[in-house]
Amino acid sequence: MSYDLIIRGGRVVDGSGLPSYVADVGVRNGKIAEVGRLTESAARTIDAAGLAVSPGFIDHHTHLDAQMLWDPYGTCEPQHGITTVVMGNCGLTLAPIKKGDEDAVVKSFVRVEAIPRHALEQGVTWNWHSYGEYLDNFEGKVGINVGGLVGHIAVRHNVIGEEAVERKATSAEVQKMRAIILESMQGGALGMSTNRNERHMREDGKPVASRLADDEELFALCDVLAERNAGVIETILGRNKIEHFEFYHELAKRTQRPVLWQSLQHRWVEPNLWREQLNAVEPIFKAGYQAYGLSHTVPLVRHFTLQDCQVFDEFPTWKNLMFLPVEVRKQALADPDTRQKLRADFADPRPTNFHRRWDIPRVEKVVKGENQKYVGKTLAELAALRNQDPLDAFLDLALEEDLGTVFWNANNGGDRDAMGEILRSPYVLVGTSDAGAHVQFGADFGYGTILLGLWVRERQVMSLEQAIHKLTFHVASIFGLEGRGLLRPGYAADLTIFDPKTVGAHEPEWANDYPAASKRLIQKSSGLHYTIVNGRVIHEDGRMTGDLPGQVIRGPLYREQKAAA
Amino acid sequence: MGISYIPVARAGELSPGAMKEIDLGGRQALLAYVDGKYFAFSRHCPHEEADLKTAGQLLNGTTIRCNNHSYCYDLNSGECSLPKGAAPLTVLPAEERGEEICIRLEW
Repeated sequence: MSYDLIIRGGRVVDGSGLPSYVADVGVRNGKIAEVGRLTESAARTIDAAGLAVSPGFIDHHTHLDAQMLWDPYGTCEPQHGITTVVMGNCGLTLAPIKKGDEDAVVKSFVRVEAIPRHALEQGVTWNWHSYGEYLDNFEGKVGINVGGLVGHIAVRHNVIGEEAVERKATSAEVQKMRAIILESMQGGALGMSTNRNERHMREDGKPVASRLADDEELFALCDVLAERNAGVIETILGRNKIEHFEFYHELAKRTQRPVLWQSLQHRWVEPNLWREQLNAVEPIFKAGYQAYGLSHTVPLVRHFTLQDCQVFDEFPTWKNLMFLPVEVRKQALADPDTRQKLRADFADPRPTNFHRRWDIPRVEKVVKGENQKYVGKTLAELAALRNQDPLDAFLDLALEEDLGTVFWNANNGGDRDAMGEILRSPYVLVGTSDAGAHVQFGADFGYGTILLGLWVRERQVMSLEQAIHKLTFHVASIFGLEGRGLLRPGYAADLTIFDPKTVGAHEPEWANDYPAASKRLIQKSSGLHYTIVNGRVIHEDGRMTGDLPGQVIRGPLYREQKAAA
Repeated sequence: MGISYIPVARAGELSPGAMKEIDLGGRQALLAYVDGKYFAFSRHCPHEEADLKTAGQLLNGTTIRCNNHSYCYDLNSGECSLPKGAAPLTVLPAEERGEEICIRLEW
């Protein structure tokens, strides 16, 4: 029997974490029909010799709730191998909504997720009430698969109105919210999300509605998922504190549903917090409950010169120097007494974002040929090579090059060993792309391609098989995405074909593709050759095909409801 | 070690509530005149780098709000007052010296 598509001779990394193998993949009717040595013909054949073939990646932490309404690909998700996205995180969704509450929800999105108000005003049509009706908007109109969590903020506004940002709910209101959560799950939500982040306000400075919920309300809503044995509970509590783990434990135990918490990452200023978090979550899993920490793969990198540098603004002498006229600054940077003051600034023990370590910042680009030997060296290594104190080596090199030397620094996510342990942990869910949010500040669509390029190929903290598992079946299992996340016969033909030798993410760049001519940052990839959704190619070497094979992924209560009907 | 006074405006140049772009050693900053005092601060909001020249709104007292996401900063200390605890705005001391408004930089 012939196939719609055969991918020939690729290295199949099937999402299970098991060793990869070379095989052909036959696709028929949107599903994987066969994997092995295939002799039959196909309407289309892709030669994947030398490339890896894996399940499409599942981006479980997006805020594409609005963008997917005007951009059927959630650009740039497919360029990074993503075939399924989950919307509705951090308590924020565009549904359920009743007339008059739209602006309350917009106010929260604009502030918390930094989506331009004009884009939301022009791009969101509000032609729905329930969560199921909202999902209906995407049927037949999307290029990637979409699913979503129902957000506590919208649910609260739906029942309490504008007072949702001012007070606790009454018992009767909690009951109404429970009914809406159930209705949303039956409409297809994959779970619910809530937000207790003390920094999350609306545009008008009022807390987002979910912050007014006490434990009684929140637990009562989560109980709906427990009672129906369906869905995940996604949370954001704000600053990472070890005390939060009592809450996660209680919630996971009470509901026996997967609880997701934010976040776990390596920060140089709190270099042991990630380990304390992993230690704190382990007893929850050992007791038989699930509380996955969300982690990111993208180091927070800054490139800087001493001509125009904000990295040290937290330190008074450094800050003042960086605002001086350049010639005066150069004299000051060369002065031994000033250098003593700069050292004293770093010795001040108050907490700062900058880590004050010399073994992290690196020389990225030099001006003079004779300094080429320093490129890629940390400032500690530079100091050793020059037989100098690190601060002197740093400043002297910059001065020799008229402050033109480019340095690299990462305050977060830069430590290989720590990131390796975090990314490999079974208690960690990889990926916090935040796609669709903070659109003028960052673009982390490439969390998957960065995992494969930076952490697998360059820093070798995990195998390709482990990484693909983290990007696919690990997520599908936790979110209950039936029939997705594995490259096995019978599973959806959501596939990614990439070159492990070159896969990676580009630096973000500006685009003008948002409604109301709003600018935003996008991110392209390299080495990611094909993205296939439900058996149809949507992305081919940087070009979108225009095909829209995406499906709405609805949760188990929707399927139950439909089966019963 | 030393002190520099960098002149950035003439006394009386700014009307109450006005802001002026200033360049300090190649870095972009703003000078504001509020309640009879001058304040200098980085031109870009530390939250998501919005340009405070266009997105910044001076409120009563010594607060600037970035209208991009309504983050508020105290112009004396740079502290983020809303939401509390977020990254501070970089502020610089501004003072009148005769006919000039100067930024005082000590190192």
